[in-house]
Amino acid sequence: MGVVEDTEPPLKRAKRDETNGFSSSSGNSSVRGSSRCSVTDSSLGDLMARPLTSSSSSRGDDDDTTVGSKGVIKKSEFVRIITRTLYSLGYGKAGAMLEEESGIPLHRSFVETFLQQVKEGKWDESVVTLHRIGLLDEKAVKSASFLLLEQKFLELLRFEKIADALGTLRNEIEPLRINTKRVHELASSFIISPSASSGLGKENVSSRSKVLEELQSLLPASVIIPENRLETLVENSLHIQRDACVFHNTLDSDLSLYSDHQCGKHQIPSQTVQILESHTDEVWFLQFSHNGKYLASSSKDQTAIIWEINADGHMSLKHKLVGHQKPVTAVLWSPDDRQVLTCGAEEVIRRWDVDSGDCAHTYEKGGGIGPISCGWYADGKGIIAGMTDRSICMWDLDGREMECWKGQRTQKVSDIAMTDDGKWLVSVCKDSVISLFDREATFERLIEEEDTITSFSLSNDNKYVLVNLQNQEIRLWSIEGDPKIVTRYKGHKRSRFLIRSCFGGYEQGFIASGSEDSQVYIWHRSTGKLIIELPGHAGAVNCVSWSPTNLHMMASASDDGTIRIWGLDRINPHNQKKQVQGSSSNGVVLRQCNGN
Amino acid sequence: MGRIFTVELEGRSYRCRFCRTHLALPDDLISKSFHCRRGKAYLFNRSVNISMGPLEERMMLSGMHTVADIYCCCCGQNVGWKYESAHEKDQKYKEGKFVLERGRIVDETSTEGCVDDTRSDTEDS
Repeated sequence: MGVVEDTEPPLKRAKRDETNGFSSSSGNSSVRGSSRCSVTDSSLGDLMARPLTSSSSSRGDDDDTTVGSKGVIKKSEFVRIITRTLYSLGYGKAGAMLEEESGIPLHRSFVETFLQQVKEGKWDESVVTLHRIGLLDEKAVKSASFLLLEQKFLELLRFEKIADALGTLRNEIEPLRINTKRVHELASSFIISPSASSGLGKENVSSRSKVLEELQSLLPASVIIPENRLETLVENSLHIQRDACVFHNTLDSDLSLYSDHQCGKHQIPSQTVQILESHTDEVWFLQFSHNGKYLASSSKDQTAIIWEINADGHMSLKHKLVGHQKPVTAVLWSPDDRQVLTCGAEEVIRRWDVDSGDCAHTYEKGGGIGPISCGWYADGKGIIAGMTDRSICMWDLDGREMECWKGQRTQKVSDIAMTDDGKWLVSVCKDSVISLFDREATFERLIEEEDTITSFSLSNDNKYVLVNLQNQEIRLWSIEGDPKIVTRYKGHKRSRFLIRSCFGGYEQGFIASGSEDSQVYIWHRSTGKLIIELPGHAGAVNCVSWSPTNLHMMASASDDGTIRIWGLDRINPHNQKKQVQGSSSNGVVLRQCNGN
Repeated sequence: MGRIFTVELEGRSYRCRFCRTHLALPDDLISKSFHCRRGKAYLFNRSVNISMGPLEERMMLSGMHTVADIYCCCCGQNVGWKYESAHEKDQKYKEGKFVLERGRIVDETSTEGCVDDTRSDTEDS
């Protein structure tokens, strides 16, 4: 054994002894000598370590010492990834200093040599060193050798040393007996003129660093410490904290490393910040625009209203859309937010321009058939509607009827929508069945529920459908592949009315719903846990909408004729430090807050 | 109040006398020989578009039952009751079923609502 420079993990020790029978510091320097590089000269500040001469330095790695209170972090590993990070950040001096002070080198001497040889294009020597590193995985050794020799081949080609290149291919690459397809590709490059084989790539200095990168992924992490390892570990930790945060409703940019992340309920909009009273009768529907700049609401008073959200988060009336002769059951934003559709109950559908507030077109069927529900085509160039005669109609923007399906629907189509990728046409086709019609493949999948469905909404990513049932349960179905139930939400009240629910919050991680008991209910989406009930309205809450751009703004529509805008709880002192985060609805003045 | 949600029944159906909301199907009819204070009543397996009142113990001629009055969800009229549970074993068959009063419903095919029966003998009141 002699004086063995023990800088690698115990496992490798035995093998190294074999390959390095003359193990002593002189052995090391002979390797170094052949690479013809000077360790101390390097001002590269990247992967070079100081020479390992003192025995104290070898002890640094051997240690089983751990850091941290749980004893799971090995000190040598910890120091090495810090060293790696310092080098990646460009702090070469600090990195080198750390290696020296701790006595723990970033890479073992052989590995250092190897990396240097690759950088300089000394392929033969690098292959030799590769074998000296003493990897246990034969496959990895072969793949790495292949990589090195391939690069050697390509460089030889580039310098027009055809005979040498051929020799390399035949005698060194081919015997490895791996990746034969690539071997054939390389061989065929002789047929094309070598200079044209630049398509094979990888012949200059920058491509050598590509080789380094690939080597890094081939060789075990303990041999070459992966780049960005520390950053990856920290990101994982943040990710876990974020997932564990039940009420998580903050932007990623607000996550900090200084302390574990915990949102707490005060990140959920729970305070009425504004009451909108412009409707003169029950408000049945509302929805934020896709860009979060407007809110549209529709009412039994036969009008719809477009509200504008000002910079301070305050809402003001932009247009009142008058024209329907029946209660307006829905108002829907076009994909580009420049138009809205309104649906008069069993009457007509109207399309309005948001800027001017004018009615651009009216869609009707005649013969006493009126629309129950409607929606936009995913590309905004058509209208779909479920009619009283249980058919589904489709018009283009100018009112030409494109299609009309009669089908075997047994119910008036109470809800209809097209996913915004244009793939699915979703509609309620029977009491307790939702049809998912794939428009391209023209086949249908079904969501079969146990009870009558009253309404549904789609998630932004088009992968989930939130279904409201008559029995006061809300269910989340996944529609990727075969439809299946994911979670159930209970607690709100529904016995007579059509109550709507929606997705909202950070990554749509919350479900909000109206209720006949005049409260707004919010659940945590993945666990199904009821987080909060918000009283305030004086009548059944028919519909809720959560702003897609402002995580902390939500709106609710009620039979009491008002719309309430909900925001963060400003009064709570808990909230002081979080007030500067995220949302643009900050600085909202509390108005007419009826004893929330 | 609110946007009332109703389902439609296929074909001939019994409807609320006052607002014509669908209430039950003839296929679900079990018995025509029930009675209430106001007259005849029918027993159905299933009824739609109704909302339930609170549960209460009620003594009927056939024994003690737990029932809840049911109301048309559109107009709010009391159209009958639902049997939640029966205390006597031989009355168990009624559990989970609905009784609609003949005077409160119309048969779709008939041209008129039926005349109220005001017989005073009450059996299931």
